[in-house]
Amino acid sequence: MVDGGAGGRFARTRWEPVAISLGAIGLTGLVGAVLLLAGGFDPLAAAAAMVRGSVGSWDVFVSITLVRSVPLILTGLAVALAFRAGVWNIGAEGQLYAGAVAAAGVGLAGGGLPAVLLVPAVLCAALAAGAAWAVLPMLMRVRLGVGEVITTILMNFVGIHMAAYMVHGPLQESRGVFPQTDAIAEAARLPPLLPGTRLHVGFAVAALLALGMTVFLHRSRAGFRIRAVGASPEAAHVSGRIDARRVLVGCFLVSGAVAGLAGGVEVAGVTHALYEDLSPGWGYTAIAVALLAGLEPLGVLVTGLLFGALQAGAGAMQRDAGIPAAWVGVVEALVILAVLGLDRLRRTGGRVLPGIRIGGGGGA
Amino acid sequence: MTRPLARLGGIERRFGAVLALDGADLEIRAGEVHGVLGANGAGKSTLLNVLGGMLAPDAGVVEIEGRAVRLGSPRDAWALGIALVHQHFTLVPRLSALENLALGAGHRRGLAGDLEKLMARTGLRVPLDARVEQLGVGDRQRIEILKALLRDPRVLVLDEPTAVLTPDEVDGLFGLLKELAADGRAVVLVAHKLDEVLGVADRITVLRNGRTVLTGPSAGRSVPELVRAMVGGDAVDPIALGLTGVDAGATGAMSRPPAERGETTTSARALHAGGVVVRLRGAALADRSGPGVHGVDLEIRRGEIVGVAGVEGNGQRALALLASGRAVPDSGSAELPSGIGFIPQDRSTEGLIAEFDLVENVGLALQREPEYVRGPWMRWDAVRDAAERIRERFEVAAPSVTTLAGALSGGNQQRVIVGRELTLARDFLVAENPTRGLDVAAAAFVHAELRRMATEGVGVLLVSTDLDEVLGLSNRVYAIARGRLHDVPEERRTREGVGAFMLGGTADG
Repeated sequence: MVDGGAGGRFARTRWEPVAISLGAIGLTGLVGAVLLLAGGFDPLAAAAAMVRGSVGSWDVFVSITLVRSVPLILTGLAVALAFRAGVWNIGAEGQLYAGAVAAAGVGLAGGGLPAVLLVPAVLCAALAAGAAWAVLPMLMRVRLGVGEVITTILMNFVGIHMAAYMVHGPLQESRGVFPQTDAIAEAARLPPLLPGTRLHVGFAVAALLALGMTVFLHRSRAGFRIRAVGASPEAAHVSGRIDARRVLVGCFLVSGAVAGLAGGVEVAGVTHALYEDLSPGWGYTAIAVALLAGLEPLGVLVTGLLFGALQAGAGAMQRDAGIPAAWVGVVEALVILAVLGLDRLRRTGGRVLPGIRIGGGGGA
Repeated sequence: MTRPLARLGGIERRFGAVLALDGADLEIRAGEVHGVLGANGAGKSTLLNVLGGMLAPDAGVVEIEGRAVRLGSPRDAWALGIALVHQHFTLVPRLSALENLALGAGHRRGLAGDLEKLMARTGLRVPLDARVEQLGVGDRQRIEILKALLRDPRVLVLDEPTAVLTPDEVDGLFGLLKELAADGRAVVLVAHKLDEVLGVADRITVLRNGRTVLTGPSAGRSVPELVRAMVGGDAVDPIALGLTGVDAGATGAMSRPPAERGETTTSARALHAGGVVVRLRGAALADRSGPGVHGVDLEIRRGEIVGVAGVEGNGQRALALLASGRAVPDSGSAELPSGIGFIPQDRSTEGLIAEFDLVENVGLALQREPEYVRGPWMRWDAVRDAAERIRERFEVAAPSVTTLAGALSGGNQQRVIVGRELTLARDFLVAENPTRGLDVAAAAFVHAELRRMATEGVGVLLVSTDLDEVLGLSNRVYAIARGRLHDVPEERRTREGVGAFMLGGTADG
């Protein structure tokens, strides 16, 4: 231990993550503007279109932004929970597709059932399928010690193609024309949350889940154990006598289940059918959503909304300002880079370049 | 007067809000062994890191042979003939000892031959072909020292080199340091054991709160004088602190009146006297990073301190994990009580979570206790109260219990851990190198707490590489060598006697 090497980071500052997030957003805006200028676009017009398309009116906000934020919040929660426990689940995308397929399957098959039974059945199927999609990477991690980053990414491809196979094969619509399923039973669809808008109860589910997860992580013993294992598996084992393996297994499966729920909610709440390209990469954007939120569930609610607005605004940007929507993908990537960079900067106490010097990092 | 080989003047260095060095001075002359002393957090390591080019000072001058220099990196320091042996190891675990040494020395023909000669001359032997990750702390320390010596330095700087060496090796190392000094080089040494330093150093420098408070020849200085300089004032009794070697420490332990609370708890002690709290029978546990333990038969009764001495990496880890219930024996049996406290050796990775505050770190262990949980929920208010009590009773220097553990100094981190584990140790306490890296006052505090626990009827297993600590505290002593426990009979409980048992399993012959 370097004498006196306490980094001077005495009290916990709860606002640090918020400052990082705001800084990341500001930084992204700046870099994005420069890129737009370089591409020959007008950044101000782009920003105006983006604001109009995301929060320009109550209707736009509720029916587009909030609706788009639901799968981002759910997958963001899935990623946040996993990362909190030190499980690097990059497989939310595949788990989402597994959930969507299961939800569509149940929604198609359960035609005769009343909504009070069918809607829960659809959502439970999505949860179970998402968890099932995480089983193989989880087993490889805890039994064989294979890193879950690679296995979950690979399972994404399997999930995406499995869904594609389903809509070309067993679950294809009865007309047999398009790669999609028939519409699921009316009784399988999520009821609207606000009458007259496209917003469905899936948003309430996502918001309640975020709230519940926050309480769980900070108030319950199991949540505390998850945080301890994620922060230091060694200390959790030696000082806390916590079975890290059990925590990993649990968090891996629940994370997969929540990502699966995102797919089920999208099918039951928005598309009412399974499509080939159901997700524009929500499971990956979820990583940015979770990181920008500092892995706090309530923060995910906010950053999920932010990314929902970003994606809603992207459409308007393309329409009104003629800027390719792909640019939003660039923004999302920039946000991840900015968050990671700023977080690292905070940890190293403001040194930008990694020298060979030993810094005074207290707990390092 | 010899011209100074190296001089550090008015060095200041700040880490965030903490001023680690506040105008420290250090003058090193050719031909001397120079001891640097100070309490935890006094700035010793920081000052040596400045000299070794690891840290740039915020203010002050560094002169080598009278010429002001700028040491921007360890490379600059090497070029000037300064080699630093770190307190933290800087070895590549997956490379062999020889490869690590080659990394330090630069690849050259005949390196292995030179090393053989160096090892023969210095008595510091390491298995050159073994991968570092398979070696214990003692071997790693020897590699670090050899790495520095290979550079043929004019100034050799050693930060706490003796903590993990056997008594014989310590003697050998000190002999070597004296030889190097006699050769016209300078040796700078940091060690916590004052009598050790006084025995080897020609001159000493004492730091307190980042400033140099005393510097000069070591001849004629007494341990109490140095302690006063280190802690300021004269309120400290060095014998009580157990600062001096084994003899004084042991007599200190025995002649001391019982702790204030000892009297009131003797009845409890009598009640439990003879009660066995821990019973290991033929217990074995494999350990990937060490020899593990096998055939361990151990009974610990209430109210006694059982010490296990040994050279690092002889199965202590496995023994501590077994006895604390952190691991289940591969074979044999372990009967353990329910109220076990465990002070692990590695504060920063196993004892605490740096990014958690003190409440959470206390909760980390207390979450298993029914009174801190209600249904599935943590009773954070109760945990917070417990953390407050620990902070007050164990005098943790933290502004509040919401301070992050990583912001505390090593000694204060240890106080948190000790406080927490003592609240858990209703029946049994396992302490693994509980005072490593602590300054004398903090170490004395921990020792007093261990004794108090024993007087209150708790069984204590003290596993330590510090012989003085084991001999000074224990009612019964074992030596551990190559994963086996050896009962040390009463008449052999001296440094040399126990040392022989320790080496019984590790010596080459």
